[in-house]
Amino acid sequence: MMSGYLNFLREPAPILVLGLGNTLLSDDGVGPALLDHLSISAQRWEGQVEFMDGGTQGLALLGRLCGRKALIIVDAVKTGAPPGTVHRMTLGELRSANPGRAGSAHEGNAGELLAAAQLLDELPDRLFVVGVEPKKIATGHGLSAPVKRALPEASKEVHELLTQLC
Amino acid sequence: MTVRVVVDPVTRIEGHLRIEAMLNDSGHVGDAMSSGTMWRGLEVILQGRDPRDAWAFCERICGVCTTVHALASVRCVENALGITVPKNAEIIRNIMFLTQMVQDHVIHFYHLHALDWVDIVSALKADPVATAALAQKVSPSAEKASPGYFRDIATTLKKYVDSGQLGLFDNAYWGHPAYKLPPEANLMAVAHYLEALKWQKEIIKIHTVFGGKNPHPNYLVGGMASAINLQGDSAINIERLNMVKDLITQAKQIVDTLYIPDLLAVASFYPEWTQIGGGLGNYLAYGDIPQHGISDVSSFKFPRGAILNKNLAEVLPVDPADAGQVQEEITHSWYEYSGGKTALHPWEGETSPKYTGPKPPYTQLDENAKYSWLKTPRWKGNAMEVGPLARVLIGFASGHGDFKEVVTAALGALKIPAAALFSTLGRTAARGLETQLAVQWLKDEFDNLIANLKAGDSTTADTSKWEPSTWPAEAKGYGFTEAPRGALCHWIHIKDAKIANYQIVVPSTWNASPKDAKGQHGAYESALLGTPMADPKRPLEILRTIHSFDPCLACASHVIGKDGRKLSEFLIRV
Repeated sequence: MMSGYLNFLREPAPILVLGLGNTLLSDDGVGPALLDHLSISAQRWEGQVEFMDGGTQGLALLGRLCGRKALIIVDAVKTGAPPGTVHRMTLGELRSANPGRAGSAHEGNAGELLAAAQLLDELPDRLFVVGVEPKKIATGHGLSAPVKRALPEASKEVHELLTQLC
Repeated sequence: MTVRVVVDPVTRIEGHLRIEAMLNDSGHVGDAMSSGTMWRGLEVILQGRDPRDAWAFCERICGVCTTVHALASVRCVENALGITVPKNAEIIRNIMFLTQMVQDHVIHFYHLHALDWVDIVSALKADPVATAALAQKVSPSAEKASPGYFRDIATTLKKYVDSGQLGLFDNAYWGHPAYKLPPEANLMAVAHYLEALKWQKEIIKIHTVFGGKNPHPNYLVGGMASAINLQGDSAINIERLNMVKDLITQAKQIVDTLYIPDLLAVASFYPEWTQIGGGLGNYLAYGDIPQHGISDVSSFKFPRGAILNKNLAEVLPVDPADAGQVQEEITHSWYEYSGGKTALHPWEGETSPKYTGPKPPYTQLDENAKYSWLKTPRWKGNAMEVGPLARVLIGFASGHGDFKEVVTAALGALKIPAAALFSTLGRTAARGLETQLAVQWLKDEFDNLIANLKAGDSTTADTSKWEPSTWPAEAKGYGFTEAPRGALCHWIHIKDAKIANYQIVVPSTWNASPKDAKGQHGAYESALLGTPMADPKRPLEILRTIHSFDPCLACASHVIGKDGRKLSEFLIRV
């Protein structure tokens, strides 16, 4: 599942599934956790899809978006819905956002990342977010029970998207 | 009545660094408080774990500086267990470190700090022909400086701004009277902003080569997990190394023909900022870039030491293992120590939160009570500034030729005295100057690696003490580095092959710390004192000084909000 060190020398896979979040902040780590869950069936998409654990990196991920046809971000999405609710958002919904400039080069800012890609005209044509409503964003390793229970459903969402895209 | 300017969060998104500045009658900052507004306490996660795994957790502390925490972590375990890493591992770690520093500093300048000095909206008014003339004057060797190039940049910028989403350029105080660059200089800076944005995604491939992957490159207690076989194709080979060489050449070009000329050009428009934001005048660096092993401190390219009261005539010795030197106080921090102790060396450190502040959301904090989630690290009881300015001053005062050369050249170009370095602009300039050194050293380290490999040494790790059965029942160690924003140290206590205690004192804790028992301000607080404010409703001046430290309080969570306004929401890491 992890990208090997030779990968970047090859043509990037047309679809990137990018897990974002901090695994040391409990449910914020749902993005990377979802990647682990998806890795069970990763071979099915061999050559088509790259799965990447982006952690909380912001601009540093810019180079990994280039040349992709589609980007699926998996992340924690907070809307006030019950914890464990699975969300699916499109590029249009994201565009309505106004993420702004990060105050620190250290903010793993997905919004800034996407804005920078747009500025360089390197935003993938199709962009989706599959997210899970967090219960707890605080220091700790491991997901809360409702978020953990949501992993199969969130995985299924990603699979459906991949089936449409591939 | 005192006007209290609250900047929360300084880093724009809630749950971060909060600055409260009290203005006096003349409109200057009379007092200031720096507060970290969210608890992390990562140390708790590490307790009871295998010390060999600690680096992988530590890498996640920070969103961008993954490599420095991993480095400090493996070094503290190696220090505890008496492991010396092979020559290649030392060089590769230096390459990883320097790559990170160069990338981080360039990103900081163009993508964060420049926007405090460069008015993006004003750039739209620039004349491309005049901009080209300016660019050729500022940097005669820059590759792209034609009127057509700047016309294209202006078109791109206009399209971006017209799309109604300032995006990256949102949340700034465009049109503020403290912006002084002419439109052409602003357009030139925007062009180079875009160049830097494109470049930064390439340079980091060096981490992928040596770390096996990026983000979150691999580290290893005992060395580096980088198999090298110059002629092979399943390890790091000559082809991969040639790519690294090209990336370093490219980095040197960006630094020498864009970053440094732009830095000097922008600085020349803001001479008053050599008089503002100096702050403590006390500087601390642990040093890094060992040439003959981590225990030979005298071989470090970044020397270790401390300077007190701006006294460049004396560099004092620093020892992270000395219980009487680095201590963390909690007088104004939301923690408690057992037995009512007030200051602890990190080996005895405790992480017990005890919040006694107001219930959020609140309008103001009480500077006489506890007011931050950051502890208060002190060196021999002194508040210290860490980071590029500390490193450059300590290098300069230690008489290192490399530092003398770049500092003297910059002071000459700007026609300012050495005392001008004790300022916001000095801090920003120091970051550029050490980047100049770092990119040259990066090249040197790469040459060292090739020479060592060609001499037949391909060992990258010493695993003789990998098995816990070879370890003592109990051991203590410390591991330091110079993260882009300053001195970083991890302290570990290993007992029965598990982590009994782990304490991390990060650079932003030094710089952003609250007051100590003696009432001494932290570095941010001190640097803000006396700052003039043109418009308290748009505190650009506060941001300039705080950003000059490159605050790292954001690392980092990654929640997306569906309402759109909050695409990301971050928690504090200090």
